[in-house]
Amino acid sequence: MRTKRRYILVRVEPEYLPISPRDLYYSLLEAITTIFGDSGAAKVQPAVLSCTGGVAIVRCVRNTEAMVFSSLPTVTRVAEHRVALRSCATGGTLLSLRRRLGESPRTPAEIGDDVEFDGNSYQTVRYHGEKVDLIEKGFKSQTLLFLTQQDLEE
Amino acid sequence: MHCTDACVIPFPAGDTSIRRMALGAREMGFDSLVAFGAEPGVYHGITIVKGVQLEGMEIRQILGAMKRAKSDSSLICANAGDNSFNRALMNIPGIRVLRNLHASPKKSFDQVTARMASDKRVAVDIDLSSLIQLRGSARQKAIQRYSDAVMLQDKFGFPFTLSTGARSILEMRSGRDMKALCTLIDLPESGVEDALRAVGTLCNPEGPVKVVQ
Repeated sequence: MRTKRRYILVRVEPEYLPISPRDLYYSLLEAITTIFGDSGAAKVQPAVLSCTGGVAIVRCVRNTEAMVFSSLPTVTRVAEHRVALRSCATGGTLLSLRRRLGESPRTPAEIGDDVEFDGNSYQTVRYHGEKVDLIEKGFKSQTLLFLTQQDLEE
Repeated sequence: MHCTDACVIPFPAGDTSIRRMALGAREMGFDSLVAFGAEPGVYHGITIVKGVQLEGMEIRQILGAMKRAKSDSSLICANAGDNSFNRALMNIPGIRVLRNLHASPKKSFDQVTARMASDKRVAVDIDLSSLIQLRGSARQKAIQRYSDAVMLQDKFGFPFTLSTGARSILEMRSGRDMKALCTLIDLPESGVEDALRAVGTLCNPEGPVKVVQ
């Protein structure tokens, strides 16, 4: 018999990071396994269908969404990137999720100019509104800072 | 204050400014934050309550610190210790939240301490970062400790607060995520909602009835 599925819309922050669906899948599977064990992960049957522009679509077996919701906030790293995964919506079909995604289109972040902050040189990533991310320029470390336009002006 | 994250640590201790945390909190559905190492204020419509953490102190030192902080309107929290330490903390007026229960010894928060917390209206903080960041036996211990606290809360009715201990916007979690995480420690949805509201009642405790003319 065909298994009924649920599709979960997940926001990936920061949205400008190049995260592949495969890496996201491994991180999610690890999170589910550490919390619910191998049998739990087998029940959920997670899959990452897409991950682009800070939005991912995760598939699971129906009635196991709660397990995915509990696991998503525990994912703190995908490959070498620090991330936050925030569940936004659940749907029974991919179409319904894509429709919902179309209802609230997001303006993508833009790579901006270089700035000096706290004595270090950073590249800015500006979002629609006030948010500004600073990426440290350097080979050894690429520290991220999360500020607002007002913080930069001060 | 209907929905509060009871612990965030902004820049310079963290990597996110308090304004950016406030923006993030607004998007996640919060209306207030308790910030450690930041001044109180209102940013982007989010009320920032100053949090003071008393840690690594003996009871005598805590009493001294409390005298100094008495005039302040900040939310004073103390780290949990062994059983006798926790009982002594409950008797210090002004301490509103008992934090880091997951790192305290087993049976440090028993029925007697729970009853005292209920009588004195001292909240127990559920630090979700222990569920998010820890792995293996450390997380199992945290889940066990908080599940025990939830059982005691059912019986004695002391307040809970929920915190992420976020040093970064990436470590903050929405109310929806908090509800999902709290299923791991058997805290029901209504309990999570009460815990998110608890900071408001702790900051403005019910006083005696005043006659207004």
